[in-house]
Amino acid sequence: MMKELRIQNVTVRYGEVKALDGVELVVNPGELMVVMGPSGCGKTTLLLAVLGALTIDEGHIWINGEDIDTLPLEERNIGYVPQDFGLFPHLNVYENIAFGLRVRKHVEERIRERIKELLLTVGLKELEKRRPKELSAGQKQRVALARALAIDPSVLLLDEPLSNIDEATKAEVRANLKEIQRESKVTTLCVTHNPEDSFQLGERIAIMYAGKIIQCDTPQRILENPKNDLVKRLIAPMYILWNKRS
Amino acid sequence: MQKGVNRAAHKLGRDRFELAITALACAVAVYMLVSISYLYIAVGENWSLVWAALFESRVLGAIAISVSSAFIVGALAVAAAIPCAYLLTYRDFRGKGTLETFLIDLPQTLPPVTEGLVYLLMLGPWGLAYTYAAVIIAKFYVSAPFAISFASRRFREIRETGLDVIARSLGAKTSHLLGRILLPLSSRDLLAGFSLTWARAMGELAATLVFAGAIPWRTEVIPTLVYFTAAETPQVAIAASVIAETLSIIALLSFRRIGRER
Repeated sequence: MMKELRIQNVTVRYGEVKALDGVELVVNPGELMVVMGPSGCGKTTLLLAVLGALTIDEGHIWINGEDIDTLPLEERNIGYVPQDFGLFPHLNVYENIAFGLRVRKHVEERIRERIKELLLTVGLKELEKRRPKELSAGQKQRVALARALAIDPSVLLLDEPLSNIDEATKAEVRANLKEIQRESKVTTLCVTHNPEDSFQLGERIAIMYAGKIIQCDTPQRILENPKNDLVKRLIAPMYILWNKRS
Repeated sequence: MQKGVNRAAHKLGRDRFELAITALACAVAVYMLVSISYLYIAVGENWSLVWAALFESRVLGAIAISVSSAFIVGALAVAAAIPCAYLLTYRDFRGKGTLETFLIDLPQTLPPVTEGLVYLLMLGPWGLAYTYAAVIIAKFYVSAPFAISFASRRFREIRETGLDVIARSLGAKTSHLLGRILLPLSSRDLLAGFSLTWARAMGELAATLVFAGAIPWRTEVIPTLVYFTAAETPQVAIAASVIAETLSIIALLSFRRIGRER
């Protein structure tokens, strides 16, 4: 079942500094929302706050109407793919994907079926015995996605999913990522600093700056009606691409 | 030298300062090597005397007590290191730095003889003094910090990678995190901690002597045997020392090799 993620007035402080300053954001069920902003604007902090890896100082996070602020990380049922993919180096592809199912004590037969399904979805059927160090960056990303999706997460969080992918394969990996997300229908919050990635991936984009969301809309509407000069500056590379294409 | 670095630019001899520190390092290495190997040189032509002494009952007893107690201490230290390292890595609390000092630094710096006395006063009335258990207790205090320190350092490295957060996000409880992530990824370091703990326990003298005494085939270990026989029957002391040193070298090199192969 697709679920809604609602981030309500969330503030996170590191000492005197507000890494997140009253962030408001709603990700619709099944939607792929991209949060785009420059390095240090609070994107990863936002992901970690939703994930439960850090405590929020103010505000609330809701998944389908349930307040998850007080739930520990392991009980939130959120899939997370970090920037470096975070594959367990001592486990092969199969065991990496099986991890979440094993700790949830699923029966072996169910685990085998689910992994078969996921390996087919991410196109890694032949690589199940390989260790992470024997995989390319694109393959690692697909394993990390399969592992996150294996637990049927309420929400999927992607941290700079394309930053470790070389330019030559980026377009293909991006298309794959979008396809997998669409097929799995899981509500997804993705953060990136790259305007092109965000405009290619996101159904909607939230532009973030200094811990705040300054505009949230569809890529087309942001391009046509940037809220202010700051947004214009942050998405400037997209105008160049847009003009080239038109 | 690292791959890709221009070797010619770093050719030894062109940079006098580098040459000086290399010479200094070599001098230290020679000093260590001579200190370790001189025992074998000292044996010289008396190998037959030393060989005969090796099979004396008292020497065999000391070897048995030393090796067995060092293995038990190593295993106990690793078992103790895991919860300590978890606590020091994943829990933030007031006094954490002080606790770490008490667990790792102090046992390595306090005079072992003092600790032996403490145990004698504290556990002696319970009938534990001068027993095999006393040997274990005395050695554990002095040696366990190696295992705790290795495990803590590795757990912190793993925490830095964020793998623990990913495991938790997938539903892992603490037992899963330990059993499926932290321990498998720390096996080399735990083995290294075990081997150093074992070697330190093999060489422990003062705390063991004060708390456990030196009763042949009961609490007498190689260091105490050497201490008591050095003046009157040096061939026995030398035989015990040779065996202790050889065992330590073989064990450390083997553990290191196993660690590399894993």
